[in-house]
Amino acid sequence: MATTRALARLAVRRTAVPAMWTRSFATVDPITKVGETINPSRPVVPESKTSTAKEPIPEKGSKIKTFHIYRWNPDEPTSKPRMQTYTLDLNKTGPMMLDALIRIKNEVDPTLTFRRSCREGICGSCAMNIDGVNTLACLCRIPTDTSKESRIYPLPHTYVVKDLVPDLTLFYKQYRSIKPYLQRNTPPPDGRENRQSKAERKKLDGLYECILCACCSTSCPSYWWNQEEYLGPAVLLQSYRWIADSRDEKTAERQDALNNTMSLYRCHTILNCSRTCPKGLNPALAIAEIKKSMAFT
Amino acid sequence: MASMARLTLLRQACSAAPTKRMASSIARSTINHASPLSRQPLQSAFVRDTLPGASRIATFHTTSRRPILPPLPQKVQGTLNDPTIVPDPSPAHGSYHWSFERLVSAGLVPLTIAPFAAGSLNPLMDATLCALLLVHSHVGFQSSIIDYFPVNRVPAVRSLLMWILRIATITVGVSLYEFETNDVGITEAIKRIWHA
Repeated sequence: MATTRALARLAVRRTAVPAMWTRSFATVDPITKVGETINPSRPVVPESKTSTAKEPIPEKGSKIKTFHIYRWNPDEPTSKPRMQTYTLDLNKTGPMMLDALIRIKNEVDPTLTFRRSCREGICGSCAMNIDGVNTLACLCRIPTDTSKESRIYPLPHTYVVKDLVPDLTLFYKQYRSIKPYLQRNTPPPDGRENRQSKAERKKLDGLYECILCACCSTSCPSYWWNQEEYLGPAVLLQSYRWIADSRDEKTAERQDALNNTMSLYRCHTILNCSRTCPKGLNPALAIAEIKKSMAFT
Repeated sequence: MASMARLTLLRQACSAAPTKRMASSIARSTINHASPLSRQPLQSAFVRDTLPGASRIATFHTTSRRPILPPLPQKVQGTLNDPTIVPDPSPAHGSYHWSFERLVSAGLVPLTIAPFAAGSLNPLMDATLCALLLVHSHVGFQSSIIDYFPVNRVPAVRSLLMWILRIATITVGVSLYEFETNDVGITEAIKRIWHA
């Protein structure tokens, strides 16, 4: 480019063209040579006496953490999902991932979309994939190591509604298919309550605490490949909750509903479900108990 | 490993060859249209052909991603409040199948250890080991096919693979029988290979 310009200048100089036809070039003459534009009331400050306006320095001791968050907007269906990066000062943010997300939504980007409700691990709304693990954002501490960047995705192998919101329609339909309610034909013996011994009640511990956040189901490879037919760990845990209930009288029917190739026996004891459960439950044990109760019958 | 690499190379060459020819012919025709006075760019076409694999690299980098069984658009069966369909109970494919499979797996453990621990070469035990191994691997492969080839997505591939598996199991069964009756048998064979 510079060569072309020099050649053009040479050509212009050699041929005697009227001045108005020649192309003018930007001058880099010092301003003192131009002379006439100087206003005596505001003298030109030479370069050596000016200072540089610096970038605003971050606050002292601030811990800047980078978050990469999955973004996809259904209003622009042709654009691909992308990762958007946000930085937050951890000193001004609460300890949990959900605090960081809420702060991003409040202060940085109001278009960021995610589900949240109880902020204490009871509702199961904020289930998402944080740093490669399915967990509840409200129960997941932000790693304080600021050199590592956090990555947040929606639950894997789900249809995405928007940003971090997965579509759990199939999950809830499957939950409905196991009839998650007490089924009895006979009235209670005393006509008032269906009573349970302490030992019978103890069987339901570790089952009734499930909040159906779908973290375990969406971490199961078998559920990834066959979610139309395989029920998945969360729903099977709930099924076992009713199979194990001493008050329920439809245990055989419940077992029959699972007695086929796909519904229950696609579980290959991968144990991702027990590892990822944010409530510390053990869906794999419940599935093993169902299999055991149905074996040789 | 080497054969895999060769396959990839072959595929690249095949996909690169027509692309190159197409690119040169397109270039020639556009040049002809643009300036009919210019000469035929014979030389340029030749040069382009002998370029050191530039087009081949381009083909390699622009190959589209081809995921195996990509997800279909979401389809909700019935209304949002309907439960999913519960299949009819079939214990032969469910609980019986699972119990049988576990029994076979558990039975294989002592059968594989016993010949090495006791050193006995009872032909009956040898035959049992062969049969259980055969059944165990058949069930395992069957499970993999059921997992990775869903019957509602790829019904033809599914049944084809199932038939291949059945034929393979029968073939292996017959050959194991031949090996057991007319040759030394599996335990003795492993022993000889081990000491060879």
